[in-house]
Amino acid sequence: MAGIESKCTEPEIDYNVLNSIIVDRYNQNRENLIMMMQAIQKQYRYLPITALRYLSDKVQVPLIKIFEIATFYASFSLKPKGKNIINICTGTACHLKGTGKMVEHITSKVGIKSGETTPDMLLTMDNVNCVGACAVAPVIVFNEKYYPEADLSVINTLLDQAKSE
Amino acid sequence: MKTLKIKIDGKEVTAKPDQTILELATENGIYIPTLCHSPALEPAAMCRLCMVELYEGRRKKFVTACNFPLRRDVEIKTDTPDIRQGRKLIIELLMARCADSPLLQGLAKEYGANVQRFSDLKDDCVMCGLCARVCEKVGGKTLTLSGRGVEIHVNTAFSEASEFCIGCGSCVQICPVNSIVMEDVAGERILKIHGREAARVKLVHCEMCNKHFGPVIDLTKVMSKFDKGAIPPSNANICPDCARIKLAKRIAGRYYDTI
Ligand code: SF4
Ligand code: FES
Ligand code: FES
Repeated sequence: MAGIESKCTEPEIDYNVLNSIIVDRYNQNRENLIMMMQAIQKQYRYLPITALRYLSDKVQVPLIKIFEIATFYASFSLKPKGKNIINICTGTACHLKGTGKMVEHITSKVGIKSGETTPDMLLTMDNVNCVGACAVAPVIVFNEKYYPEADLSVINTLLDQAKSE
Repeated sequence: MKTLKIKIDGKEVTAKPDQTILELATENGIYIPTLCHSPALEPAAMCRLCMVELYEGRRKKFVTACNFPLRRDVEIKTDTPDIRQGRKLIIELLMARCADSPLLQGLAKEYGANVQRFSDLKDDCVMCGLCARVCEKVGGKTLTLSGRGVEIHVNTAFSEASEFCIGCGSCVQICPVNSIVMEDVAGERILKIHGREAARVKLVHCEMCNKHFGPVIDLTKVMSKFDKGAIPPSNANICPDCARIKLAKRIAGRYYDTI
């Protein structure tokens, strides 16, 4: 049964929380499916399979469709993410300003590549291709906050911050 | 109803509004190659093989015949050097994925494609999406194209063996390159995608000859889709061959006591 995405242990699913999202907030209306998925992702920092199965049942959308959506949008993750998320922009402008080196630096320092999470679940690195702020390249996004014209010292501070939490 | 005047490959024909170019061509005996189209399903325009030239006034554009609805009087050319060139490239690219497919080999010959132009990707799927679309329509909603861009591939939910498959075999039937495999082994029907087990469905055991035949069906679910008064099937546990024998015996039995 085990697929690649399902190797992780699932967290306890609190169905009251799911109901408050699916029923109370979005009225079990399948038109709000993506918003519900975003809310679930926010709750668990990823989309647990059990929660998606429950969602599929509640809004009567086939599980396969929910899976399709979850794999289509880059902002959804089927793997648990770390408490902190760092996005290094590897778009053209930022790449030219040396973000490739920054990625390597993080990899050598905490041992994760893009898309990976540290074993202590404190940090995930998810690199993106252009965050739309090329004028202030190189750009780093840490927990949804933008750090323009970043350099290695900024990264080091952020890594320390991630570790201390 | 208003009809459209279309010129297709030099022939003046009439079309119904919103008819697709492919439908019109087929109606008029003009062949356009397709890989991702089935008249039974909504067109998805995934393969681009059905590309034709559309002339409107002095403008010319390339459109996919399978999903382009006709709305104005236009001229269409289905087999120009430019189109042949485009199709040739598509086939060359697809040959890098499924070099073993007789269908693609035939097309490659027809369009003079250089089958070794791109290095072998060792894949077995042309990503037409037909299996996912047919499964959504007639099957158990088991398959989809997951991911996107270069990562897109035919998949079951969470890449796990799926509990939704009803073993109908539609995906196997519709796949143009025979990439989906279904085997009946020891009373079970096993669906395989990219060599991986994608689903397993129990088969019914024939009460008369003891052989396994079609998949076990959730009759209550099926019956619930009908109006009241639908009659559940008799002989549900007898294979088609035995059912025929049983019926023949019954007819014959009217004349002879035993047979
Ligand atoms: S055999 Fe299973 S996977 Fe294939 S179309 Fe039928 S239900 Fe879908
Ligand atoms: S390339 Fe980094 S913001 Fe555009
Ligand atoms: S048949 Fe039209 S794009 Fe594939």
